[in-house]
Amino acid sequence: MAVKPVKVTITYCAACGYDPQALALAGALMREFVYDISTIELVPWDEGSFDVAISGRLVHSMLREGGFPEHATIIGAVREQLQPA
Amino acid sequence: MAVTAERFEQGLTYEAYKAQMTRNKERLEENETTVDIDPAAVDAFQRLAQPLNVLVIAEDWCGDVIANLPVLGRLAEQTDKLNVRVFLRDQNLDLMNMYLNQGQFQSIPVFAFFDADFNPIAHLIERPATVTETMDRKRAEIFARNPDFGPPDQSPAEMSEDVRTRFMQEFVLARTETRPFSNSEVQREFREIAEQAAR
Repeated sequence: MAVKPVKVTITYCAACGYDPQALALAGALMREFVYDISTIELVPWDEGSFDVAISGRLVHSMLREGGFPEHATIIGAVREQLQPA
Repeated sequence: MAVTAERFEQGLTYEAYKAQMTRNKERLEENETTVDIDPAAVDAFQRLAQPLNVLVIAEDWCGDVIANLPVLGRLAEQTDKLNVRVFLRDQNLDLMNMYLNQGQFQSIPVFAFFDADFNPIAHLIERPATVTETMDRKRAEIFARNPDFGPPDQSPAEMSEDVRTRFMQEFVLARTETRPFSNSEVQREFREIAEQAAR
Protein backbone atom coordinates (compact mmCIF):
# COMPACT_ATOMS: atom_id res chain seq x y z
CA MET A 1 0.00 0.00 0.00
CA ALA A 2 1.34 3.39 -1.00
CA VAL A 3 1.68 6.07 1.64
CA LYS A 4 1.07 9.59 0.45
CA PRO A 5 3.74 12.17 1.32
CA VAL A 6 2.52 14.44 4.10
CA LYS A 7 3.52 18.09 4.28
CA VAL A 8 2.77 20.19 7.35
CA THR A 9 2.62 23.96 6.91
CA ILE A 10 2.80 26.11 10.04
CA THR A 11 1.99 29.74 9.35
CA TYR A 12 2.80 31.98 12.29
CA CYS A 13 2.58 35.71 12.91
CA ALA A 14 6.21 36.78 13.08
CA ALA A 15 5.19 40.31 14.06
CA CYS A 16 3.36 38.85 17.08
CA GLY A 17 6.38 36.87 18.27
CA TYR A 18 4.85 33.46 17.72
CA ASP A 19 8.22 32.01 16.65
CA PRO A 20 8.63 29.92 19.85
CA GLN A 21 5.22 28.27 19.44
CA ALA A 22 5.93 27.51 15.76
CA LEU A 23 9.32 26.01 16.59
CA ALA A 24 7.86 24.01 19.50
CA LEU A 25 5.19 22.50 17.26
CA ALA A 26 7.72 21.75 14.50
CA GLY A 27 9.97 20.11 17.10
CA ALA A 28 7.12 17.99 18.45
CA LEU A 29 6.30 16.80 14.91
CA MET A 30 9.96 16.04 14.17
CA ARG A 31 10.31 13.98 17.34
CA GLU A 32 7.03 12.16 16.83
CA PHE A 33 7.31 11.30 13.15
CA VAL A 34 11.06 11.47 12.46
CA TYR A 35 11.16 11.05 8.61
CA ASP A 36 7.55 9.98 8.08
CA ILE A 37 6.59 13.59 7.28
CA SER A 38 7.94 14.65 3.90
CA THR A 39 8.14 18.37 4.73
CA ILE A 40 7.57 20.68 7.67
CA GLU A 41 7.17 24.19 6.32
CA LEU A 42 7.44 27.28 8.54
CA VAL A 43 5.84 30.37 7.01
CA PRO A 44 6.49 33.72 8.71
CA TRP A 45 3.30 35.74 8.37
CA ASP A 46 1.44 38.63 9.93
CA GLU A 47 -2.18 39.37 10.88
CA GLY A 48 -2.08 37.56 14.23
CA SER A 49 -2.18 34.16 12.58
CA PHE A 50 -1.13 30.74 13.79
CA ASP A 51 -2.46 28.27 11.27
CA VAL A 52 -1.58 24.68 10.51
CA ALA A 53 -2.35 22.85 7.28
CA ILE A 54 -1.62 19.22 6.53
CA SER A 55 -1.04 18.65 2.83
CA GLY A 56 -3.07 21.76 2.05
CA ARG A 57 -5.97 20.97 4.42
CA LEU A 58 -6.39 23.50 7.20
CA VAL A 59 -6.54 21.71 10.56
CA HIS A 60 -6.05 24.67 12.90
CA SER A 61 -6.65 28.38 12.50
CA MET A 62 -6.06 30.83 15.33
CA LEU A 63 -8.81 33.00 13.89
CA ARG A 64 -11.26 30.09 13.67
CA GLU A 65 -10.44 28.02 16.76
CA GLY A 66 -8.71 30.70 18.85
CA GLY A 67 -5.34 30.23 20.49
CA PHE A 68 -2.58 27.81 19.68
CA PRO A 69 -3.28 24.17 18.83
CA GLU A 70 -2.56 21.34 21.21
CA HIS A 71 0.43 19.42 19.88
CA ALA A 72 -1.49 16.17 20.41
CA THR A 73 -4.29 17.41 18.14
CA ILE A 74 -1.91 18.16 15.28
CA ILE A 75 -0.01 14.91 15.81
CA GLY A 76 -3.31 13.02 15.67
CA ALA A 77 -4.31 14.78 12.45
CA VAL A 78 -0.93 13.97 10.85
CA ARG A 79 -1.20 10.35 11.95
CA GLU A 80 -4.63 10.14 10.34
CA GLN A 81 -3.21 11.54 7.10
CA LEU A 82 -0.37 9.03 7.16
CA GLN A 83 -2.78 6.08 7.17
CA PRO A 84 -2.62 4.24 3.85
CA ALA A 85 -5.69 4.87 1.70
CA MET B 1 -4.37 44.80 41.33
CA ALA B 2 -3.39 48.42 40.90
CA VAL B 3 -0.23 49.90 39.44
CA THR B 4 1.76 51.58 42.19
CA ALA B 5 4.45 54.22 41.92
CA GLU B 6 6.99 51.64 43.11
CA ARG B 7 6.00 49.12 40.43
CA PHE B 8 5.91 51.83 37.77
CA GLU B 9 9.43 52.98 38.57
CA GLN B 10 10.72 49.46 37.95
CA GLY B 11 10.14 50.01 34.24
CA LEU B 12 12.68 51.20 31.72
CA THR B 13 12.81 54.77 30.54
CA TYR B 14 12.19 55.17 26.83
CA GLU B 15 15.92 55.66 26.20
CA ALA B 16 16.83 52.65 28.37
CA TYR B 17 14.29 50.55 26.48
CA LYS B 18 15.85 51.53 23.19
CA ALA B 19 19.33 50.80 24.50
CA GLN B 20 18.43 47.22 25.41
CA MET B 21 16.73 46.41 22.09
CA THR B 22 18.35 43.52 20.26
CA ARG B 23 16.39 43.88 17.02
CA ASN B 24 14.41 46.45 15.03
CA LYS B 25 16.03 49.40 16.78
CA GLU B 26 16.88 50.99 13.41
CA ARG B 27 13.25 50.68 12.29
CA LEU B 28 11.99 52.19 15.55
CA GLU B 29 14.41 55.10 15.27
CA GLU B 30 13.48 55.63 11.63
CA ASN B 31 9.82 55.85 12.64
CA GLU B 32 10.81 58.22 15.43
CA THR B 33 12.55 60.48 12.92
CA THR B 34 9.91 60.42 10.21
CA VAL B 35 6.65 60.69 12.18
CA ASP B 36 4.87 64.01 11.66
CA ILE B 37 3.95 65.23 15.10
CA ASP B 38 0.53 66.83 15.34
CA PRO B 39 0.70 70.27 17.00
CA ALA B 40 -2.77 69.64 18.47
CA ALA B 41 -1.47 66.58 20.33
CA VAL B 42 1.54 68.51 21.61
CA ASP B 43 -0.74 71.32 22.73
CA ALA B 44 -3.10 68.95 24.56
CA PHE B 45 -0.26 67.54 26.64
CA GLN B 46 1.43 70.88 27.22
CA ARG B 47 -1.79 72.24 28.69
CA LEU B 48 -1.75 69.64 31.46
CA ALA B 49 -0.90 70.98 34.90
CA GLN B 50 1.03 67.85 35.79
CA PRO B 51 2.77 65.18 33.73
CA LEU B 52 1.00 61.90 33.13
CA ASN B 53 2.57 58.54 33.89
CA VAL B 54 2.49 56.18 30.92
CA LEU B 55 3.06 52.49 31.46
CA VAL B 56 4.05 50.80 28.21
CA ILE B 57 4.22 47.05 27.65
CA ALA B 58 6.39 46.17 24.69
CA GLU B 59 8.76 43.72 23.00
CA ASP B 60 11.18 44.54 20.22
CA TRP B 61 9.88 41.86 17.81
CA CYS B 62 6.40 43.45 17.65
CA GLY B 63 5.54 45.50 14.56
CA ASP B 64 2.96 47.62 16.35
CA VAL B 65 5.49 48.46 19.07
CA ILE B 66 8.06 49.49 16.47
CA ALA B 67 5.42 51.65 14.74
CA ASN B 68 3.62 53.22 17.69
CA LEU B 69 6.05 53.51 20.59
CA PRO B 70 8.20 56.13 18.81
CA VAL B 71 5.11 58.31 18.41
CA LEU B 72 4.80 58.38 22.19
CA GLY B 73 8.55 58.90 22.48
CA ARG B 74 8.43 61.99 20.29
CA LEU B 75 5.44 63.43 22.16
CA ALA B 76 7.22 62.82 25.48
CA GLU B 77 10.31 64.56 24.18
CA GLN B 78 8.41 67.56 22.84
CA THR B 79 6.00 68.12 25.71
CA ASP B 80 7.88 67.10 28.86
CA LYS B 81 4.47 66.00 30.16
CA LEU B 82 4.82 62.26 29.74
CA ASN B 83 6.67 60.17 32.26
CA VAL B 84 7.20 56.94 30.31
CA ARG B 85 8.19 53.55 31.70
CA VAL B 86 8.47 50.53 29.44
CA PHE B 87 8.07 46.94 30.62
CA LEU B 88 9.02 43.87 28.58
CA ARG B 89 5.89 41.80 28.19
CA ASP B 90 7.34 38.37 28.76
CA GLN B 91 9.10 39.43 31.97
CA ASN B 92 6.12 41.30 33.41
CA LEU B 93 3.11 39.06 33.05
CA ASP B 94 1.52 40.55 36.19
CA LEU B 95 1.14 43.80 34.27
CA MET B 96 0.29 42.13 30.96
CA ASN B 97 -2.54 40.21 32.56
CA MET B 98 -4.09 43.51 33.67
CA TYR B 99 -4.44 44.64 30.06
CA LEU B 100 -5.39 41.56 28.06
CA ASN B 101 -6.91 42.34 24.67
CA GLN B 102 -10.54 41.13 24.71
CA GLY B 103 -9.72 39.57 28.07
CA GLN B 104 -7.55 36.86 26.56
CA PHE B 105 -4.82 38.03 24.18
CA GLN B 106 -1.42 39.36 25.28
CA SER B 107 -1.46 42.00 22.54
CA ILE B 108 1.13 44.73 22.60
CA PRO B 109 1.92 47.53 22.76
CA VAL B 110 -0.13 48.57 25.75
CA PHE B 111 -0.13 52.29 26.60
CA ALA B 112 -1.73 52.79 30.02
CA PHE B 113 -2.06 56.39 31.17
CA PHE B 114 -2.22 57.41 34.85
CA ASP B 115 -2.41 60.72 36.64
CA ALA B 116 0.27 61.82 39.11
CA ASP B 117 -1.39 59.74 41.86
CA PHE B 118 -1.59 56.64 39.64
CA ASN B 119 -5.29 56.83 39.13
CA PRO B 120 -5.93 55.20 35.74
CA ILE B 121 -7.13 57.51 32.96
CA ALA B 122 -7.33 55.34 29.84
CA HIS B 123 -5.34 52.83 27.86
CA LEU B 124 -4.72 51.89 24.25
CA ILE B 125 -3.91 48.33 23.23
CA GLU B 126 -2.05 47.50 20.03
CA ARG B 127 -3.36 50.23 17.70
CA PRO B 128 -6.45 52.38 17.13
CA ALA B 129 -9.49 50.48 15.86
CA THR B 130 -9.61 52.81 12.84
CA VAL B 131 -6.19 51.55 11.76
CA THR B 132 -7.27 47.92 12.06
CA GLU B 133 -10.38 48.71 10.00
CA THR B 134 -8.30 50.43 7.33
CA MET B 135 -5.91 47.50 7.05
CA ASP B 136 -8.84 45.08 6.86
CA ARG B 137 -10.26 47.12 3.99
CA LYS B 138 -6.91 47.24 2.19
CA ARG B 139 -6.55 43.49 2.63
CA ALA B 140 -9.95 42.98 1.01
CA GLU B 141 -8.92 45.30 -1.84
CA ILE B 142 -5.79 43.23 -2.48
CA PHE B 143 -7.90 40.11 -2.90
CA ALA B 144 -10.39 41.99 -5.10
CA ARG B 145 -7.56 43.13 -7.39
CA ASN B 146 -6.12 39.63 -7.56
CA PRO B 147 -8.89 37.09 -8.09
CA ASP B 148 -6.26 34.37 -8.59
CA PHE B 149 -5.32 34.76 -4.90
CA GLY B 150 -8.50 32.87 -4.04
CA PRO B 151 -11.05 33.72 -1.35
CA PRO B 152 -10.02 36.48 1.09
CA ASP B 153 -10.97 34.43 4.13
CA GLN B 154 -8.61 31.60 3.33
CA SER B 155 -5.77 30.87 5.69
CA PRO B 156 -2.22 31.71 4.54
CA ALA B 157 -1.45 28.06 5.31
CA GLU B 158 -3.75 27.14 2.41
CA MET B 159 -2.22 29.59 -0.08
CA SER B 160 0.38 28.52 -2.60
CA GLU B 161 3.88 29.80 -2.05
CA ASP B 162 3.55 32.10 -5.07
CA VAL B 163 0.29 33.62 -3.77
CA ARG B 164 1.72 34.05 -0.28
CA THR B 165 4.73 35.90 -1.65
CA ARG B 166 2.69 38.16 -3.92
CA PHE B 167 0.09 38.84 -1.23
CA MET B 168 2.71 39.75 1.35
CA GLN B 169 4.42 42.16 -1.07
CA GLU B 170 1.13 44.00 -1.57
CA PHE B 171 0.25 43.83 2.12
CA VAL B 172 3.58 45.35 3.21
CA LEU B 173 3.10 48.12 0.62
CA ALA B 174 -0.43 48.79 1.94
CA ARG B 175 0.89 48.97 5.48
CA THR B 176 3.61 51.42 4.44
CA GLU B 177 0.98 53.58 2.71
CA THR B 178 -1.15 53.47 5.86
CA ARG B 179 1.70 54.58 8.13
CA PRO B 180 0.95 58.37 8.05
CA PHE B 181 -2.74 57.69 8.78
CA SER B 182 -1.77 55.31 11.57
CA ASN B 183 0.62 57.83 13.11
CA SER B 184 -2.11 60.45 12.97
CA GLU B 185 -4.68 58.14 14.57
CA VAL B 186 -2.31 57.11 17.37
CA GLN B 187 -1.75 60.80 18.12
CA ARG B 188 -5.50 61.44 18.03
CA GLU B 189 -6.04 58.72 20.64
CA PHE B 190 -3.21 60.08 22.80
CA ARG B 191 -4.58 63.62 22.43
CA GLU B 192 -8.05 62.50 23.51
CA ILE B 193 -6.53 60.85 26.58
CA ALA B 194 -4.73 64.10 27.41
CA GLU B 195 -8.01 66.01 27.01
CA GLN B 196 -9.74 63.46 29.25
CA ALA B 197 -7.03 63.92 31.88
CA ALA B 198 -7.47 67.69 31.77
CA ARG B 199 -11.19 67.51 32.63
